[in-house]
Amino acid sequence: MFDIFGIPSASLFSQLLLGLINGAFYATLSIGLAIIFGLLNIINFAHGAQYTAGAFVAWMLLNYLGIGYWGALILAPLIMAVIAVVLEKTIIARTYKMDHLYGLLLTFGLALVVEGGFRQAYGVSGLPYDIPEQLSGGIDLGFMFLPLYRSWAVLISIVVCVAVWFLMERTRLGAVLRAATENPVTVKSFGINVPRYITLTYALGVGLAAIAGVIAAPIYQVNPLMGSNLVVVVFAVVVIGGMGSIGGAIVSGLGLGIIEGLTKVIYPEASNFVIFVIMAVVLLTKPSGLFGRPIQVQNTVAAEATRVPLQLARQYQLAGWGVLLLLALAAPLVLYPTFLMKVLCFALFAAAFNLLLGYVGLLSFGHAAFFGAAAYSTGLAMKSLGLSPELGLLVGTATGALLGLIFGALAIRRQGIYFSMITLALSQVVYFIAVQSRLTGGEDGLQNVPRGQLFGLIDLANSTHMYYFVLAVFVLAYLFVVRVLQSPFGEIIRAVRDNEQRAKSLGYFTARYKLLAFVLSAGLAGLAGSMKVLVFGVASLTDVHWHASGEVVLMSLLGGIGTLLGPIAGALAFVSLQNTLAPLGSWVLIVQGLIFILCVLLFREGLVGLATQAWNRLAASPRNGRD
Amino acid sequence: MLTLRNLNAWYGESHVLQGVNLQVNQGELVTILGRNGAGKTTTLRAIMGIMDHREGSVVFNGQETIAMADHRIPRLGLAYCPEERSVFRSLNVTENLLLPPVIGPGGLSLDDIYTLFPNLRERAASSGGNLSGGEQQMLAIGRILRTGARLLLLDEPTEGLAPVIVQQIAHAIGLLKKRGFTIVLVEQNFHFASRVADRLYIMDHGVVVDHLSAAQAAAQPDRIRRQLGV
Repeated sequence: MFDIFGIPSASLFSQLLLGLINGAFYATLSIGLAIIFGLLNIINFAHGAQYTAGAFVAWMLLNYLGIGYWGALILAPLIMAVIAVVLEKTIIARTYKMDHLYGLLLTFGLALVVEGGFRQAYGVSGLPYDIPEQLSGGIDLGFMFLPLYRSWAVLISIVVCVAVWFLMERTRLGAVLRAATENPVTVKSFGINVPRYITLTYALGVGLAAIAGVIAAPIYQVNPLMGSNLVVVVFAVVVIGGMGSIGGAIVSGLGLGIIEGLTKVIYPEASNFVIFVIMAVVLLTKPSGLFGRPIQVQNTVAAEATRVPLQLARQYQLAGWGVLLLLALAAPLVLYPTFLMKVLCFALFAAAFNLLLGYVGLLSFGHAAFFGAAAYSTGLAMKSLGLSPELGLLVGTATGALLGLIFGALAIRRQGIYFSMITLALSQVVYFIAVQSRLTGGEDGLQNVPRGQLFGLIDLANSTHMYYFVLAVFVLAYLFVVRVLQSPFGEIIRAVRDNEQRAKSLGYFTARYKLLAFVLSAGLAGLAGSMKVLVFGVASLTDVHWHASGEVVLMSLLGGIGTLLGPIAGALAFVSLQNTLAPLGSWVLIVQGLIFILCVLLFREGLVGLATQAWNRLAASPRNGRD
Repeated sequence: MLTLRNLNAWYGESHVLQGVNLQVNQGELVTILGRNGAGKTTTLRAIMGIMDHREGSVVFNGQETIAMADHRIPRLGLAYCPEERSVFRSLNVTENLLLPPVIGPGGLSLDDIYTLFPNLRERAASSGGNLSGGEQQMLAIGRILRTGARLLLLDEPTEGLAPVIVQQIAHAIGLLKKRGFTIVLVEQNFHFASRVADRLYIMDHGVVVDHLSAAQAAAQPDRIRRQLGV
């Protein structure tokens, strides 16, 4: 035993070893992610779930069939690869002709289904999986105790990574895959069956995730949540390493794992998000990643542009909104105010998100950060500082907008899928701060936030008062969104969405417009989060978790991206569904995932889009007499 | 060897080929001339099956291919060298040359290809992305000679190249013809085309508007000039 810079060597080296193990997993997973992205052009959000599934398959093989670790190391990846082939052929292949972001959303849905399924079947506490006998125990090296299994885990992962590198860079199969990544049409014109290679690639990537899962099982136990946070870290690793290079993925995966391990020794509080901080620095200095080539990706889900407009005169549409407002005013007579307020909060959240996705074409996967951070700051301002509710809302909105400015400054120049991954990774920093900070109450969250007195006059503890206050804020915020969209600024952001290059060549500094739109969206998301904390008196980790980011995507998609009514319809449907499914435990996740998958495959135009089409058909039918 | 009858093809909504009729015989070098947007490249792509949608008839060696999967058509013995060359940057020259699978006997060996294009031999280990335009063109032609395909579709192989390189490419095409390859050559360069071609087709607005033998082309250059509007 000796000390290095005052740190006992044993703890330093064991953290380094753990860092190396994690790094090996990052490397294995990011290689899989990178080759899948190369050929399929989708970010496989299900990668974490497939890693989890690999571990579960190993556990099932042992407990149901008596097949031990060594068998599982071979069989689990094969089983997962077969499942991957089926998935790719039946579901994922349908997204290739759509915008790339739909691939991300589809695999996000898959991830939810898998995670929810395992949670429902096996609970969240984790199942033990023993280290194989041959590798139990360890060696005392004098300066540290070296557990055999952990060294094995590092060794086998590196062997697997190097084997994949060899396969991709030095074999004919690899040459075909690299060529097909660059130009699938030309490769096809040589008589090569590219779709089959695409399927194979997906199977290979998923198989790699499953191998990592099996290797992880004895170290971390088998837990439905094991892949869910890991996948976000792997996204950050991929952004840091760059998409283009397998060697780069290995080096950055291992390197980042070690840095994370060292941070755990030197400054434990930062160990959860040090990788994300590094990502931010890399993005500022070398935007295409340390080893990557710049990849051009489009950034538009041009949903609104391709939308069929509603065949209804303007005055009728206005009247429709009026009726909707009257319904909202009368609703507390029939429905629980709490339910309605929840719908309004989420509808505003979705409207903020929709402003960005529907009208600027940017898919942010980090909106929970704005929502959650605002909820915390409003909660703190009201609970600790005793601010009035209207000031509390302002504090929350400002928090959201400020955070949006920081996220936006880092992410706005990156397009499409990169933008989604970066916002997701940054939101994870906020999440980990919320987990660790004493201010936020960690796992308990902020409880019993008082609603206070509006302008010192109206007591909001009364649910009716509260409801009408929330409704008023909601209507004002909505009018603000409409005003923004109808302003010249709104026209410009649409132009940026439809063709950023052209907008640039017309002399618009597009990054600044996108940034402003992003900040507006973040501010509105913050307002939604603040209202939520007022309504429920609670700000918790679920508000900042990336699942909440996924939920807002789901609401927007379900309602109809790029429509004004979409967020309201989506939030109403979503909250109703959540309430119905609440007693069923993890079925919520499964159903959410299935809805994602169905929406992407069948109704990308959402509820509002479907209703519009139905109405237009009705209006166009001659019997109706309308022209 | 290759017969197109009333071939129609679309890019999404736009109807580009509007009934192309064309015949290529064994061992011939046939040129397709035409202005920009006449449908020359699209004709080649439609023959290969890499179009959103095509209708009509494409018969190769007696086999109808119109309903065939796009990766099967090349295996009948056709090879396509695209105008943009599509050399793979992430592969080196040798890997690029070895990429297309061998689909039949009679292809050139790697050594033959290097003899045909000596520049490539010197660059064998360079990445495809580091080649000059002329070298890329040689590579794009070279890689489809190994496969045993007997019908080569070459899309503007001389475009944007220095005269000395054009000479080299012309020489290579002449050699390939001597070795018995059947060649369909799309060209904008009328002089180059009429020098090497056995027969010439002229396209405009998605249809074939004229058809000449080499002798006719030599005798009536104005007929071609008028059609091309040059």
